Amino acid sequence: MSSLAEYFHTDWEAMTTSDWVGTILTVVIFLLMVVLYVHVLRPKNREKFESKKNIPLDDDETSDIGDNNGGK
Amino acid sequence: MDATAEQKYNFEVVRWFSVMAVVYLVVGALVGVYIASELAWPVLNFDSPYISFGRLRPLHTNAVIFAFGGCVLMAAAFYTVQRTCGVRLWSDKLAWFVFWGWNAIIVSAVITLPLGLTGGKEYAELEWPIDIAIAVVWLAYTFNFLMTIATRKTSHIYVSNWFFLGMMVMITYLHVVNSLAIPVSLFDSYSIFSGVQDAMIQWWWGHNAVGFYLTAGFLGIMYYFVPKQAGRPVYSYRLSVIHFWALMFGYVWLGAHHLQYTALPDWTGSLGAAVSLAMIIPSWGGAVNGMMTLSGAWDKLRDDYILRFLIMSLAFYAMSTFEGPVMSLKTVNALSHYTDWTVGHVHSGALGWVAMVGMGAIYHMIERTYHTKMASPALINAHFWTATIGAVIYIVAMWVSGIMQGLMWRAYDEYGTLAYTFAESVEAMHPYYAMRAIGGMIFLLGAVLMLINVIMTVRKSVSEGSLQQARASAI
Repeated sequence: MSSLAEYFHTDWEAMTTSDWVGTILTVVIFLLMVVLYVHVLRPKNREKFESKKNIPLDDDETSDIGDNNGGK
Repeated sequence: MDATAEQKYNFEVVRWFSVMAVVYLVVGALVGVYIASELAWPVLNFDSPYISFGRLRPLHTNAVIFAFGGCVLMAAAFYTVQRTCGVRLWSDKLAWFVFWGWNAIIVSAVITLPLGLTGGKEYAELEWPIDIAIAVVWLAYTFNFLMTIATRKTSHIYVSNWFFLGMMVMITYLHVVNSLAIPVSLFDSYSIFSGVQDAMIQWWWGHNAVGFYLTAGFLGIMYYFVPKQAGRPVYSYRLSVIHFWALMFGYVWLGAHHLQYTALPDWTGSLGAAVSLAMIIPSWGGAVNGMMTLSGAWDKLRDDYILRFLIMSLAFYAMSTFEGPVMSLKTVNALSHYTDWTVGHVHSGALGWVAMVGMGAIYHMIERTYHTKMASPALINAHFWTATIGAVIYIVAMWVSGIMQGLMWRAYDEYGTLAYTFAESVEAMHPYYAMRAIGGMIFLLGAVLMLINVIMTVRKSVSEGSLQQARASAI
């Protein structure tokens, strides 16, 4: 490969409809993922997420809630 | 004894899946050891087509992946979704339909594969009527899981359930598309894809079966059972969320790295390799997240043998998720492809990661659902060491054999003539094939110890009356 420009050269004219649909979907999903990462890693949201980490340890208590089969 | 949980939740189906998982582990590993021995000592073929390597190999892969792995995933998903959502399974009948349906599929595989009835797709060998049955049972499993979440009594859906659901959705999509075929008779069909498209679809399925079934599903297991067994919350919940989304986004791109240097467009292999390398980050993030759950409490590993399985599995997970991307690089792939290195890599993931985390989860569920401690902690310890040592011997044998194969096949002399014949490379591999069979035998021994221990524990529960008490106690 002689240059980066050559490596990244794209024949836009040759793009089919399914090529465009796939490309746009991929880019949109990728951007959504970036937004999600920012949201999850924002220090402001730390407590909101980390408060969920005890769920498996508290699930003996969880079995006491609800109305199925004798639960309280 | 947890009488409230026993009476509130459906643990009966979990018990059946758990016990059957151990039975299939022994059967699958036994077939694996036999075919490994056939490669080392071909006389074991006995000139019978029914037990030849070509027919028993798919039986081995189906037994360990879909019979053992499937039963572990179904037991664990049904167990954890009830406990983390605080609600019984949405439908007991559907859960039993999944149990009997899945086991009927396994029996049909045991019958058809030795008879040579196969669709010819790797890791999707079963013929079209069985493929349809798989889709129906899998959808029933998914629907029951989804409806249990929908009727939950808790506000948040714990991350292990996300991993299970991600697996269920993606495997439905992958299985259906990969299995699309034109039937020509009851036991014969042709894929609707052909040529390079068929190859691409095959490995889109093949690698995503690894990515979503053997990784995402078992990570669901890891995110529940590691914290639960350790008695400590997962190190970082935020990291687990990122791990989930990165896995869901990244894995679907990787299949093309199985087809380097083939008729596939060159850029697709490069893309597969590039995303494979990027996947090291979330994979290692997840492995570290699991291991760091023990931060400040590493002493638990000294006497909690079940926890040892779960933590050792994460070490293998980290190792194999580094090795895989390295092997996907074109320069490395030129040496490794079509050699036993690939077999070694697969087994570091299968024996080290999938089997170890699955076995740890089964031990945990057997204790919790039979309301008693495992009958013999010493046997768990012996199982841990046989599983670890057996896996390491297997993997090392295949690494050495594979790299040697690759080097021998590409060596040439000053005239440009190949330095070795293929038969010479086969002869050179023999000691490593014997070593692999021995490693497998040691691993199998551990699986047998586990089965004995599980049977002893079930009998102990019956003699103590602990399960009966849990069912009958006033709550």
